[in-house]
Amino acid sequence: MWEKKPLLLIALATAAILVGTTITMVLPFAWVNTETDRIASVTPYTPLQQEGRDIYIREGCNNCHTQTIRPLVTEVLRYGDYSKSGEFVYDRPFLWGSKRTGPDLARIGGKYPDAWHYKHMDSPRSMVPKSNMYDYAWLRKSTLDPVMSERKMKVLGFPYTQEQLAQLKGKNELDAVVAYLQKLGSDIAWRKAAEVTIVGELKNPYPDTAHRSMEEWEVIYSEHCAACHGGHLEGEIGPHLDGANYTDEELFSLIFNGIPDGGMPAFSSLGTNKVWKITNFVKYYVQGEDHP
Amino acid sequence: MEKPVYNTDIVRSFVHWSLLWGLVAILVGVIVSLQMVEPDLNFPPYLTFGRLRPIHTNAGIYGWGVGVIFATFIYMVQRLCKTPLWSNKLAKFQLWFFNATIIASAITLLLGYTTSKEYHEMEWPIDVMVVILWVVFAVNILMTILKRQEEQMYISLWYMMAALVGVAILYLVNAAALPVSLFKSYSAYAGTNDANVHWWFGHNAVAMALTAPPLAMFYYFLPKTTGVPIYSHRLSIIAFWSLIFMYLWTGAHHLLWTPVPDWVQTLAMAFSVMLIAPSWGSVFNGYLSMNGQWHQMKENYLVKFLIIGLTFYGLQTLQGPMQAIRSFSAFIHYTDWVPAHIHMGTMGWVSMISYASIYYLVPRIYGRELYSVPLANMHFWLTLVGQLVWSISLWVAGVLQAGMWNATNSDGSLTYTFMETMVEMYPYWWARAAGGFIFFLGIIIFIYNLFMTVRKGKDVVAPIVTAAGRN
Amino acid sequence: MDWAAILYLGVTFGLFAIFVAIVIHTCRDKHKETGEAPKYTMLEDD
Repeated sequence: MWEKKPLLLIALATAAILVGTTITMVLPFAWVNTETDRIASVTPYTPLQQEGRDIYIREGCNNCHTQTIRPLVTEVLRYGDYSKSGEFVYDRPFLWGSKRTGPDLARIGGKYPDAWHYKHMDSPRSMVPKSNMYDYAWLRKSTLDPVMSERKMKVLGFPYTQEQLAQLKGKNELDAVVAYLQKLGSDIAWRKAAEVTIVGELKNPYPDTAHRSMEEWEVIYSEHCAACHGGHLEGEIGPHLDGANYTDEELFSLIFNGIPDGGMPAFSSLGTNKVWKITNFVKYYVQGEDHP
Repeated sequence: MEKPVYNTDIVRSFVHWSLLWGLVAILVGVIVSLQMVEPDLNFPPYLTFGRLRPIHTNAGIYGWGVGVIFATFIYMVQRLCKTPLWSNKLAKFQLWFFNATIIASAITLLLGYTTSKEYHEMEWPIDVMVVILWVVFAVNILMTILKRQEEQMYISLWYMMAALVGVAILYLVNAAALPVSLFKSYSAYAGTNDANVHWWFGHNAVAMALTAPPLAMFYYFLPKTTGVPIYSHRLSIIAFWSLIFMYLWTGAHHLLWTPVPDWVQTLAMAFSVMLIAPSWGSVFNGYLSMNGQWHQMKENYLVKFLIIGLTFYGLQTLQGPMQAIRSFSAFIHYTDWVPAHIHMGTMGWVSMISYASIYYLVPRIYGRELYSVPLANMHFWLTLVGQLVWSISLWVAGVLQAGMWNATNSDGSLTYTFMETMVEMYPYWWARAAGGFIFFLGIIIFIYNLFMTVRKGKDVVAPIVTAAGRN
Repeated sequence: MDWAAILYLGVTFGLFAIFVAIVIHTCRDKHKETGEAPKYTMLEDD
């Protein structure tokens, strides 16, 4: 039949290819990015955010960072609420990635204050010593182009104002990347929803501080808190900490749930035990005292 | 009948250039593997992991993989059709345009002009070049088939024709974009749709560029090497239809647990498992063709490359479906397991078959005996060992990191922070770099051996293939 | 059963029927010689 007829063979092969193509690739357009999965609070990128996104693409950040959180227990614990289709309607192209050499960034927006990102992008290893991410301080040297940005917004069909375009002047590429990162995953109010309500009475399991325990606790503090609050609680990106200002319970709740609007991440995923240790370290740390 | 005069010059040129791009791909691969363990080896803005990694993948797929496809298809189609190439001029244009496209890709990617879509990073002007290149190639091959002097069509021709059509459809659909400037465009699809279209492309580029063409080569070069026909032509036909039909359903197995509709994911999962059948149809066909010929595994370096390459194809098509199952994907996806899987396919299957094809071609396109069989054997072992070190170290790394990502304490909190899991990867990343370097030594020896063949090889005197097998 | 389910079943069985037809067409005894012929002709001297 087709064994000796190349044109017929090609036609049939094309038909075979198009069956699966039509069903799994064309058909989903009927549901995806329609009213079915629309999320009203999701907004397009501003000119500055879109510039940041384009720099993220240019530098191939997606080779090491994913941007989609799967509905799996440990993944939601680690990164935040799982990703929803409607959150990506303005993403051209999608940036879900395929490999997590570094952590997922789908919910990075609002996790840290801007200052954290600047410091981290300037020199990732100054904050995370064993990181294999290289420095992006050089992005500060390049400025943004409002003319090009306007063309981009027109092609994308995103709303923009002349004021927003004017603001691009004087900003550099790093500003744009930080603005983009702060937008990621923050269009839905997941962080408030994810906050854990602490029920019952909180009981400090380590009420009496001992010098030996302080040493162990300091290790945990250094790993999770020092990048913002300084090695001696003196404050840098985050405020200076003085344990005397808080009760045990206040400190615990602050660390456990973070300050969603204040740029302090929640540390509930560390577990209550570690959070209590940090609480006690902050509570009983004496300025100038070291626990090598 | 007068013996037709085949165009071998163009085959030679494609062999040369594909080898150069293969060398570049592997070298850049070794460099980026070192950048992952030593961040100070990144030199922004151009020489960073983020920009070099797409050069590694695209040089590998489009320079090395497609270059070998061009060389072998043009060689095979003339002989299987017993007729010269339809247009030598078109082929010559194709050669120069191919190199222009690869060079333009490399330069623009270094400059940061990228769409970010994996294995399709090149911006739209280069997409246009790729489309022209592929159309020129496809027309030349198809016209040669249409004017063939041999009525029967061997299975290799089937796979070639499917690949020509398949790559064209995939590339065109996924390339659709809204240009902003010459160097910047936005995908025509958004978010979840873009992801689904892209992995429909991504997975089937593997089918149409890295599975069907190497199968065409395998089905051709194995019997030509051993002198014994394949076990069953009809089995190869059933496997052919099943393979090209089922592959296109499976793209979303790259997107399990993402916002892509569940039913698309489920179909991808089911068809991925079903794909074991046609894949192993070809594997069995290859093994059964070796009936009574297994002694050639010891005597003939070409058979070694072909059969071990086929074995990696078999393993690849078992491991792939395993990863395409939701539960296993939940555990392993996004870890180093996945690159280990891909590299078993590219270093084990595609490169082994490509090496074998070139070894087969060289005496026939140069009229020279291979300079050194011991060197070819050494090349085989370096390739095999390099690939195994590469993949096994990252399989272990992947399982380790996945385990750490999923570990929880008794109160339901996470046992490890992300960084605690990442630092555990360093020793395995070093091992991977070592594996890549061993593989790199292999291709250096290969190229040296071919170079010496051309310069100093003995002229071929006897007919290369006799009915009893190789001479 | 709703129409979607019937359609789904229909498509599934339809595709399977095509597959069976291809297998029968390719493997029937009458076809054996012509079906296997290309593997011998491809071995002829180039």
